[in-house]
Amino acid sequence: MKENKKNRRDFLNTCFRFAAGAGIVGIAGVLAVKSQKGDFLWQLDPTKCTQCGRCATSCVVTPSAVKCIHVYDMCGYCDLCGGYFRPNVKKLSTGAENQLCPTGAIKRSYVEDPFFKYEIIDELCIGCGKCVKGCGAFGNGSLQLQVSHDLCVNCNHCAIARDCPSDAFSRVPIEQAYKFAGFKSNKKI
Amino acid sequence: MKNKLILWLSVILLLVVVAFMAKDLFVTTDRPQENIYEYDLKELRKVDSSKISHKEVKQIKIQANELHGIAIDDKDQIYVSTDENILVLDSEGKQINSLKVRGEARCLTVAENGNILVGLGNRVDIRKPDGSLRNSFVVAGEKAFITSLAIDGDNVYVADAGQKIVHHYNIDGEKINEIGGKNPEAGIKGFVIPSPYFDLMIGRQAELWVVNPGRHAFEAYNSRGEQISSWERTSMSLDGFSGCCNPANIAMLSDGSFVTAEKGLERVKIHLPSGDFKSVVAAPELFEEGTVGIDLAVDSQDRILVLDPVQKMIRIFEAK
Repeated sequence: MKENKKNRRDFLNTCFRFAAGAGIVGIAGVLAVKSQKGDFLWQLDPTKCTQCGRCATSCVVTPSAVKCIHVYDMCGYCDLCGGYFRPNVKKLSTGAENQLCPTGAIKRSYVEDPFFKYEIIDELCIGCGKCVKGCGAFGNGSLQLQVSHDLCVNCNHCAIARDCPSDAFSRVPIEQAYKFAGFKSNKKI
Repeated sequence: MKNKLILWLSVILLLVVVAFMAKDLFVTTDRPQENIYEYDLKELRKVDSSKISHKEVKQIKIQANELHGIAIDDKDQIYVSTDENILVLDSEGKQINSLKVRGEARCLTVAENGNILVGLGNRVDIRKPDGSLRNSFVVAGEKAFITSLAIDGDNVYVADAGQKIVHHYNIDGEKINEIGGKNPEAGIKGFVIPSPYFDLMIGRQAELWVVNPGRHAFEAYNSRGEQISSWERTSMSLDGFSGCCNPANIAMLSDGSFVTAEKGLERVKIHLPSGDFKSVVAAPELFEEGTVGIDLAVDSQDRILVLDPVQKMIRIFEAK
C-alpha cells in the first residue's frame, strides 16, 4: 500500500509532463488554426461599400490592391455612363475633360447603337471608387470594387479594413475570393 | 533640495507620458473626413426649390411586404398591387377591398369598364370589377417578363421587358401584333432594356406611349404598331434622363404632359408634351437613397400619386 504512494519528486515530474503535453497540444492547435487562416483572404463586400475613396489611400500597396471590376453581365452599356462621365458633361466623347476617373483608367469603345463598352485598365486603376459610385447612382451598379488577390499581400490586419467606415472588409474563404453584388458567380471576371 | 525637484519633475513627466499613452489607447479620434477621391453626389440630389411645382398633401401607408404597382380608375379609386394581393382604396386612401392574386402582381391597370388587368410574371389576369376572374392568358416565350399593362377598349398592350417587345392582344387574350421590334426601314430602332423597367400607357388620343428606357426615349405607336411620334432626352441634369433604364415609370396629366419617375437618382418630374423639362414634382431628398420601382398614377384632379415601395406608402402631390 505504501509503495503506491508517490513522493513529491514523482508528483512534480508528472505535473511537468502533463504541462508539457498540454503545451504541445496547445501549440499544435494554434498552428492548426493559423494554417487554416491561410485559406482566408481579405475581401470587400460591394453591398456595404459606400465608395468613400479610402481604398485608394489606405492600402499598404501602392497603387492600392483594390481595383474596380466591371461585371459585364449587369452592365447597361449606356451612352451616358454615370461611371465614366463627369456630371453635367456637355459632350459624350472620350475627351479627358469629360471623364470621371482621376487616372483615366476606364476605356470606352463603341459597340453598336446605342451601346458602348467600358473596360478597366488595371494598371491605372487606384481603387478610389468614383466610377463605382457614379455607376450605382445612375446605372445598374455593374462597376464594383474588389480586392485583387494578385496584388493583395493579405496583411494580418488589413489597413483598409481598419479605415473602412462601413465595415465592408472581412476575411472570406479562398473558394469565395470575390464577392460581386447582383451577380450569381463569385469568380473574378 | 535639488534631488527632490528632479524627483518631482520626473513624476510629472511620467504622468504626462502615461496620459499620452492612455489617450492613444482609449480615445479614438474622428477619422479625417476629407478625401481627395470621394465622389460627392449630394449636390446632384439637390433641386432648386424654384423648379419644384408640387407639394405633398397626403401620405397613405400601405400594409404589405412589397409594393409593385399603382393604378387609378375613373372614379379615382386607387389600386395597389403587392406581392400577395390587389388593394382597392377610395380616393382618400380608405381600403374598400382586397383581392387575392395568384403570385406577385408586378403591375396593373384598370379599364374604363372597371376590369382590372394584372401582370404576374408571364401571365395576364383580367378580373371583373367585383374581383372575379374574367379570363387569363400567358405571354409566350421563355424570357417573357411583364412590367406594364395598358388597355384601350378591347386592345390590351403588354410590355415584356424580358423579350424587349410590346405585345398587342385583344381582351380575350388573342395575339394581334407585336409593337416596337427593330425595323430600320420603318425607322424603329428597337427597345433597349438593360434592366426590368419598361413602362407604357395610353395617351389622350388613344395612342400607345412606350418608354424606351435604354435610349431615354418616349415612343408613340398607333394600334397598327406604326411609330407616330417620339422624343428623347439624355442628360444627367434635370432636363433629361440618364443611366440604364430611365424613366422607370410614367403617367400622363390631363394636358398631355408626362410625369416621370427615375431610379438611381430618385426623382419625379414633369416633361411637356414636346419632351422638354417642365418642373419637379418630388426631389430625390424625399426618397430613401437606392429606392427603385417608384410607380405613378394621375387622378381626375391631376393629383399625382407616387407609390414609394421603400417607405411603403402612396404619396399624393398637388400643384402649388
